Amino acid sequence: MSRHLFIVSNLLIVLQVFLLVFCFVDLSVLPQLVLFTGRFHPVVLHLPITLILLSIPFSIYLQRNKDAENLSTLFDLLLHYTALISTLTALAGFLLAAEGGYDEESLRFHKWLGVAVAFSTHALVYIKKTFRQRAIVWNTAMTTTLVTMLVGSHYGGSLTHGEGFFTFNADPKPSIAVATFTDKTTVFDGAVQPILAAKCVECHNDQKTKGGLNMKNLSSMMKGGKSGSMWVAGDPEKSPMVERLLLDMDDKKHMPPKGKAQLSAAEILLFQEWIRAGANPKTTYHSLPDTNVLRTIVAKIIKDVPVPKLEKTYSFSAASTSTIETLNSPFRRILPLSSTSPALSVKFYLKEKYDLNMLKECKSIASQIIEVNLSSMPADDNAIPVLSSFENIERINLNGTLISGKNLNILKANKQLEQISLASTSVGLPMMDALGNMPNLKKVFLWNTSITEADIAGLRKKYPKVGWDLGYIPDKNELLKLTIPRFLDADKRIFGPDELIAFKTQMKGVQIRYTTDGSPPDSLSSTLYTKPFPATGMMRIKAISVAQGWKTSDTADNTFFLKGFKPDSIRMINPPDKQYKGQGALTLTDLVKGSSGNLNVNWLGFRDNSFKAGIYFSKGEEIKEILLSTVESVDGYVMPAKKIIVKGGESPGSMKVLKTLVPEQPKEKRRKHLIPFVIPVEKKKYKYIEIEATTVNVLPKWHPGKGDKGWVFVDEVFFY
Amino acid sequence: MENQEKQFRLNVTRRHFLTKAGLGFGSAALGSMLFKDQLFGVDQQQTIPLGLAQYAPKAKRIIYLFQNGAPSQLETFDYKPLLNKMHGEELPASIRMGQRLTGMTANQEKFPLVGSTFGFSQHGQSGAWISELFPNIASIADDICIVKTMNTEAINHDPALTFFQTGAQQGNRPSMGAWMSYGLGSENSNLPSYTVLLSRGRGNGQGVYSKLWTNGFLDSVHQGVVFSSGEDPVLYLKNPEGHDKQSRRDMLDQLAKFNSEAFENFGDPEINTRIKQYEMSYRMQSAVPELTDLSKESDTTIKLYGPDCLVPGTYAANCLLARKLSESGVRFVQLYHQGWDTHGNLANDMRMQAEDVDRASAGLIKDLKQRGLLDETLVIWGGEFGRTNYCQGKIDVANYGRDHHPKCFSIWMAGGGIKPGMVYGETDEFGYNPIKDPVSVHDFHATVLHLMGINHEQLTYRHLGRRYRLTDVAGQVVNGIIA
Repeated sequence: MSRHLFIVSNLLIVLQVFLLVFCFVDLSVLPQLVLFTGRFHPVVLHLPITLILLSIPFSIYLQRNKDAENLSTLFDLLLHYTALISTLTALAGFLLAAEGGYDEESLRFHKWLGVAVAFSTHALVYIKKTFRQRAIVWNTAMTTTLVTMLVGSHYGGSLTHGEGFFTFNADPKPSIAVATFTDKTTVFDGAVQPILAAKCVECHNDQKTKGGLNMKNLSSMMKGGKSGSMWVAGDPEKSPMVERLLLDMDDKKHMPPKGKAQLSAAEILLFQEWIRAGANPKTTYHSLPDTNVLRTIVAKIIKDVPVPKLEKTYSFSAASTSTIETLNSPFRRILPLSSTSPALSVKFYLKEKYDLNMLKECKSIASQIIEVNLSSMPADDNAIPVLSSFENIERINLNGTLISGKNLNILKANKQLEQISLASTSVGLPMMDALGNMPNLKKVFLWNTSITEADIAGLRKKYPKVGWDLGYIPDKNELLKLTIPRFLDADKRIFGPDELIAFKTQMKGVQIRYTTDGSPPDSLSSTLYTKPFPATGMMRIKAISVAQGWKTSDTADNTFFLKGFKPDSIRMINPPDKQYKGQGALTLTDLVKGSSGNLNVNWLGFRDNSFKAGIYFSKGEEIKEILLSTVESVDGYVMPAKKIIVKGGESPGSMKVLKTLVPEQPKEKRRKHLIPFVIPVEKKKYKYIEIEATTVNVLPKWHPGKGDKGWVFVDEVFFY
Repeated sequence: MENQEKQFRLNVTRRHFLTKAGLGFGSAALGSMLFKDQLFGVDQQQTIPLGLAQYAPKAKRIIYLFQNGAPSQLETFDYKPLLNKMHGEELPASIRMGQRLTGMTANQEKFPLVGSTFGFSQHGQSGAWISELFPNIASIADDICIVKTMNTEAINHDPALTFFQTGAQQGNRPSMGAWMSYGLGSENSNLPSYTVLLSRGRGNGQGVYSKLWTNGFLDSVHQGVVFSSGEDPVLYLKNPEGHDKQSRRDMLDQLAKFNSEAFENFGDPEINTRIKQYEMSYRMQSAVPELTDLSKESDTTIKLYGPDCLVPGTYAANCLLARKLSESGVRFVQLYHQGWDTHGNLANDMRMQAEDVDRASAGLIKDLKQRGLLDETLVIWGGEFGRTNYCQGKIDVANYGRDHHPKCFSIWMAGGGIKPGMVYGETDEFGYNPIKDPVSVHDFHATVLHLMGINHEQLTYRHLGRRYRLTDVAGQVVNGIIA
C-alpha cells in the first residue's frame, strides 16, 4: 500500500468516527464559524454522486479484464476518494442542518441515507479487495450504495427545491389557494383556510391533535386547544395564534415548529388583519372596499383573485411599448392611464414644436388613444379630422388653440367622446348644435369665447344632457382695488441727470397719476404718466393707479435723489459703531440708498460718537446745496440728529461754519421713515467740507428707552 | 429601479468586483444586459412599477396651497358659537385632557376661551359654515370638501410643517412632491415635475426652508424646484448676452460628453442626474417664458385672481402661475404663503391674510373648473396645525391671540376625485377635540396618494436597510371624502 493511500484510509477512519459522533449530538451549539462550513455541503455533494456513478464502468471493466492491474490500483484510489468525499459531504450536511430551517420529515430521510452512503462507500474499499472472487457480494454492495445514494439525493433535492420538484405536474407553480373568488367567496374560505390547510393541519387534525387543537375546520378551531381559544376577534395583539406566529423561531411556542414550513410575512399579516377586522368567517372578499388592507393582502397572496376593478376596462388591446416609445418625445408625451391600462393619453408641449404631423403620427396608436390635450398649441381646424380618427377618444382639450369650430361636427362619429374643452378659442354659437347632438357628450367648456350667458341658457334648454360650462364671468358691480404703481427698477432711488424714472407698464386701461410735491395724488388733476421723466433734485413721488371699473389703488410713496458732484475723497473723522460700519466712508457716496426696512446694510450707525466726515474736492466745486440722507426708527432708538453742523473752506485748517440745523424731534412713537436733510449753503467753490450730525444723548421720557443714548444713521451724502 | 441599480453599483460588492475587475468582462457585461435585475439585486419587494400610476388615478396633478403659520380653524371653517357664549371663561380640564402645550402658553395661569370676532354663515348645498373673511371661498362651497378633523402630532411649526410635507417630523425624508415625482414620473419633461412657489403675507410669519421640498434619500431629480418670486421666476435661464441658442446647444453637448465620461469612470448616479438637469434647463428656456408672461392675461383672469396676480411674488401671482404650471403637466405645485401665525393681534392679521388668499384661492378653483381641469387636479388648502380655543396674551372681544393646537383643524380639498360640496368630520362644541372621523396626517397622505393612483403601502424606497414610505407605518385612506 502506498503512503498516499495509507494517509487517505486513516483519515477516512478518523472522519467516520466524527460522523458517528455527529449522528448523536446536538450540533447547533457549535460556533457559527464551524456551522458556516456546512454551507459547503451543496458545493461538494455532487462529487460523491459522480464518483459513485464512475465506479460502475470501472468495476464492470475490471471484472471482465482480470489482468488490468494498473487500472485496478487506480480503482482502489478512486474508491478511497469516493468514501472520503462522501464522508466530508455528510459531515458538512450535518452542520448545515444544524442551522435549522428545513422540513424535518425530508431531512430525516436525507440525513440517514447520506450517512449510509458514507459508510457503504467505505465498505466498498474493503470489499473491493476480494471483488473478483466474490462478485455477488461486490455487486450487491455496489448496487445498494448506488440506490442509497440516488434516494438520498432525491430527498436532498426536495429539501432545496421543495416537495414535488421531482414530481411531474402540469401546473408549474402550484399556489396555495385554488378557490376562485366569486361574489360569495369569503376571505376565510378563499385565503385563511387554504393557508391553514397547507401549513397547520398536518399536526392539528382529527388524527394528530397537537396541543389539543384541531384546525381541520372553523367549528373545530373555535373550540380552541389546551391553552384556550386561538384568537380574540378584533384584537390580533391579544390573539395567541398571532403571538405564536410572531415569536422567535427558537422559542418553543413558535408555530409552526422549527423545521416545518413557515408562514410568509404576508400570510401572517393576513391573519392579523383578518382578526383585526373581527375574524368574521362570513366576510366576502368582494364586500371589502378597494382600499381595505385585508383586501390588499388577500390580493397579494392569492394569485387568482381578480384585480380590483378600480378603473374602466377597455376592449381594445394595448399598443406595443416600442410604438409608444418611438412616438414619445419631450414635446409629445404619451402615457397610459395606469400601468395596467391599454388606454393612452397624448399631450403636446411647447408651441414652437407643434405641427399637424405630430398629431397625425399618432395614427399608429389611434385605437388606444382616449385623451388628447392640445391646449395652447397652434392647432387649427385641420386637427379635428385627425382627432376624429382616434375612434375611442373620450376627452379632447382644445383650450387656447386656433380652431374655429366650423368642422366640430366631424366628431359626431366618435361615440365615446365625453368631454371637450374649447375655452379661449374663437368658436361661436352656430357650431354648438353639432356638439349638442353628440351621442355621449357630457361636458363642454366655453369660457372666454364669444358665447354669452344668454346663449348658454338657450343651449342648456335645448340640449339638457350636455353640461355647458361658461366659467367665471366678472360681476359688474364688484369693484376691485388696483395694485399700486411700481417702478421699472424697484430698488433704484438715485438717478443721474441723463437717467429717467419709469413706471412699470400696468394692465391695459390703467392710468398712473402722480405728484412730485408731496401732495396726495388724485385721478383728475394730478399729472398723468405718459413716459419716463428725469429726476430734478430730490423728488418725492406719490402715485396711484386709476381705471374705469376698478377701485383706485393705494398710494405709492417714494423719494428719488439726483446724483451730485462726486467728491475726490472722503474720510470719517469719527468712526461708525462696530455693529453698523457699512463700507466705511465709501457707503456715503456709493450711490446705493439704504432702506428703512433693513438698517444692517448700506447704513452707517453712530451712538457714542457723533457722525463727522470730511469731504475733499481737490479742484474745488461750486456747491449750493448739500443733502444728508438719514432715517428715523423710534423702536430701534434711531432718532433724527440733535444738531447738524456744516463747515466749508479751502482746507481743514481754513473753514467756517456754513450752516447749523436743529432738526425737529418726534413727540411720540411713529412709523420708521427716511429723513433727507436738504442743507442750502452759500454758493461758491469749496475744496473741503465737513459735516457733523450729533446724536440725541438722552432719549425723551415718552420713549421706551428713556434716558438711554439715541442713534444717528446716515446712508448717503449728495452735493449739488 | 434604474436608480437603485446605480446605487447598488456604487457599493463595492463581490459582484461589483467581478464586473469591474475584469474577471470575464464579456460574460459579465452580457449577463448584466440579459439579467439586469438578478445581477444587481434590485429590491425584490418593490412590487409596483415606477413612473406610472398603479391604477387609473382620479387626480393627475396636485396644487398644494400651504397656509404656512397655521390659520385658525375657529376663524375660518369650524364655527363654534359656544366659544362666543363662554367668552373669557376657563377652558374646562375635561376638554383639554392634559393636552401638551407649547412653551408660549404652557406657563399661562389662565386659559380663557375666546370666540371668533368674525361672523359665520352657511354656504352651498352642504350648508358649510364659512367665516366672513372668505367671501370668495364661500362662493365655491359646492366645489370643495372641508375636513374639520385634521390632526397632527407636532405642536411647533418646524416639526409640524416637516410632518405634513414628508410624513415624519425630523426631516431628511423625501417630501410629498418628491414621492409623487418618484412614483409617477414627469408628465412634461420640459419642466421640473415638482415646483415650489413662495409668498409672504402681512401677518406674523414663520420661515420655510428647503428641507420641506427635499428629495431626501431619493434621486435629486425629484427635488422641488423653487421658482423665485422676482421678475425672473427661474434664475439664470436666459442665455448670457452674446450667446445664441446654437452656441448654448454646442456647449451643452460638449459638457454632456465630459459628464458621460465622468459617469463611466465613477458611476455616480448624480452625474447622470446633472446631465438630465442641463437638458431640461435647455428646454425650459422655451417652456418657462410661455408660462410666466403676464402681459397677455385677460381682464377676466385678472379679476378672477385679483389684480395682485400681476405682481410677481404675491400669493395671487403664484396661484395663477400654479394653474399654468399644473396645466403644463407639473405633477406637484407647492405654494407656501407665510403669515398665519396669529399668537397676538389675530383679528387684524387674519383679515390681512384672508385678503391676500381668499380671492386667488377661489379663483384658482374656478379657473381650473372652467378649463375642464378641476376633475384631474387635486387642490389642497390648509396649514400645519390649528389654533387654541383659548386666548394667548391679552383677551379682548375685538382682538386676541391663539396658540398652536394640533388636535383638530380645518383644511379643504377640491377636484381630483374629492367629493365636492361636503364637510367631513365633527369636532366638539369647544373646537378642541375631534368627535367623529378624525383624519391624521398619515391618513391624509394615504388618501392623496390613493387619488393619484398609488397604494401608499406599496410606494416604497429602500434606504439604510429598510423600506420607507411617505406614510411610514400608518395611514388609512379616507374613503368618506372620495367621490
